[in-house]
Amino acid sequence: MNHITGVMNMHFKAKWWFFIPWIITFLIFGSNLVISFLIGVPISYPGSIAPTCISLLVIAIVIVIRMFPFALGLSVRRTDFFLGATSIFAVISAGFAIVLFLFSLVEQWTGGWGTKLHFFHLSYLNDGSVIEQLLTSFVFMLNMCFLGVVIGSIFQRFGRTGLLIFFGTVFVVATIGSLIYGWWVDIFHLFIQHSAFELAIGSIPLVVIYILASYVMLRKATV
Amino acid sequence: MSHAVEVHRLTKSYGDVTAVHDVSFSIEANKIYGLLGRNGAGKTTLMKIITAQIFATYGEVKVFGEVPYENSHALSQICFIKESQKYPENFRIMDVLDVAASIFPNWDMEYAYTLIEDFELPLKRRMEKLSRGMLSSVGIIIGLASRAPLTIFDEPYLGLDAVARSLFYDRLIEDYGEHPRTIILSTHLIDEVSRFLEHVIVIDNGKILINEDNDVLRERAITVTGQTTKVESFTAGKDVIDRTPLGGFLSAHVMGELSTEDRKQSEELGLELTPVSLQQLIVHLTSAKTHKKEEEVQ
Repeated sequence: MNHITGVMNMHFKAKWWFFIPWIITFLIFGSNLVISFLIGVPISYPGSIAPTCISLLVIAIVIVIRMFPFALGLSVRRTDFFLGATSIFAVISAGFAIVLFLFSLVEQWTGGWGTKLHFFHLSYLNDGSVIEQLLTSFVFMLNMCFLGVVIGSIFQRFGRTGLLIFFGTVFVVATIGSLIYGWWVDIFHLFIQHSAFELAIGSIPLVVIYILASYVMLRKATV
Repeated sequence: MSHAVEVHRLTKSYGDVTAVHDVSFSIEANKIYGLLGRNGAGKTTLMKIITAQIFATYGEVKVFGEVPYENSHALSQICFIKESQKYPENFRIMDVLDVAASIFPNWDMEYAYTLIEDFELPLKRRMEKLSRGMLSSVGIIIGLASRAPLTIFDEPYLGLDAVARSLFYDRLIEDYGEHPRTIILSTHLIDEVSRFLEHVIVIDNGKILINEDNDVLRERAITVTGQTTKVESFTAGKDVIDRTPLGGFLSAHVMGELSTEDRKQSEELGLELTPVSLQQLIVHLTSAKTHKKEEEVQ
C-alpha cells in the first residue's frame, strides 16, 4: 500500500500536466466568448469536451512513458505503478467531470455567460439527471485516460515498432471496416439511437478491457 | 539470511547475442562488492536482472532469499542507481528527492539535504536543465540517502570530476561504516575504488572470470623490478603477463604467488617486489587474447 501512495505522490508532483487540458479548454472558451460578444449572435460550440478529452488522452500516454522508467528505477513494483496510475486517472476523471458539470451549471444560470453561448452545457451530452450527466462525462474521461494508458503500455512493452504495428493494424481494420462493412454508418446510428448516458454505460466494458490490457502489458514491460 | 544476492545459472540472450552466459554467484550481506569488466561485458544486464528491471532467459535470481520480480518486500530493499536512469524532465531535484522519500523505507531526508550541499546541487532546478555531472550527483544522493540494504551503483559518475568522485567515495565509506549494507559498485575506474572493495567479481563476455576477495586477488600477481638481466633470470619459467623495459631496467608482472625461495632469490638479486594493481591485473585478464596475439607478432 505504501508503494501505491508513493506512486500517487509521484503523479501528483506532475500536477501541471493536468492543468494543460484546462488551459486549452479555457483558451477555446475565451475565444468563443469574445466572438459571441462581438457578433452578438448566440453560439453553440459543440466541442467543449473534445479538447479536454484529447489532451487527457495525450497526457495519459506521456505519463506512462515518462513515469514508468522512473518508477521502476526507484524499485517500484510494476503492479504498484499500475495501481497508483489507475487511481490517479480515476480521481482525475472524476475531478474533470465535476468541473465540467459545474461550468455547465454556471452557464445555465448566467444564460450562456450573458451572450447565449453554449459551451459547457450541450443538448446531447447534458441530457438526463445530474447523476447521469456526471457519470456520462466521468466515463468519457475514463475512456480517454485508459486509452492513453493502453497506448503508453504498448510503447513500454513492445517499443516504437510495437506501437507502429498497433496503429497500422487499427488503421487497416478501420479502413476495411468502414469501406466494406460500413461501420461508420453503424456508429452514426448508435449515436442517434442512444443517449449519451446509454453510450457511456455501454463503453464501460471498453474501459475494463483497456485496464486489463495495460496491466498485462506493464507486468511484462522492461526499462 | 547471509546472502544478499544469489544468482543461479543465469543466462540472458537477445536473439543470437548472449549477454550473460550461465552465470552463478552469490553476494554476502554487508560487504562492498566490485562488479568489474569491460564495456559490453554484461555488467548492466546482470544488475538489471537482479533488480527485476529486465527478465532472464534462463536461471534464477534471489535477493535476500526472495525472487525480486513483482515482490514488494524484496524490491523495497533494493536501490539501483544506473547511469541511464530517466527522470521526469519537469521534476525539480527536490521533487525527485521527495518521491524517493515516499518510496524507500529507510530514506533519510536530512542526510539527503546534507549531500545536496556537499555536491552543490541547485534544489529547485528542473531535471532537464541539469548537466550530466549534476544528474550523476542526483543518482549518487538517492543511492546513499535511500540506505537500502542492497544498494547498487552502475557507473554512477559519468561527467563527474575527480573532486566530486572522491567526495562520493568518502561519503560512501563513511555512511557504510555507520549503516552497514550490501553495496555493489560497477565501474571502469578500478584503481579509484580498489582500496575499499572487499570482494571483486570480474565479468567478461557474459561469464564470471574472477570471483574473489580483494586481499586474495592482490596476491595473485606481483611486479618485479630491477636490472634487466637479473629480472630476466628471475622470471625465467614464470608466467609473465607484462614487461616494461626502462633503460637498463625492467619491470615485469608475474602471475602466481611467490615461494619463500623465490623471495630469498629476489632479495639476493636486489629486485624490488610490489603487488600488481587491481586495474593492471584485470586489464591483463580481460584482454588475455589480445596480449597473446601481440606476443606472437613480436
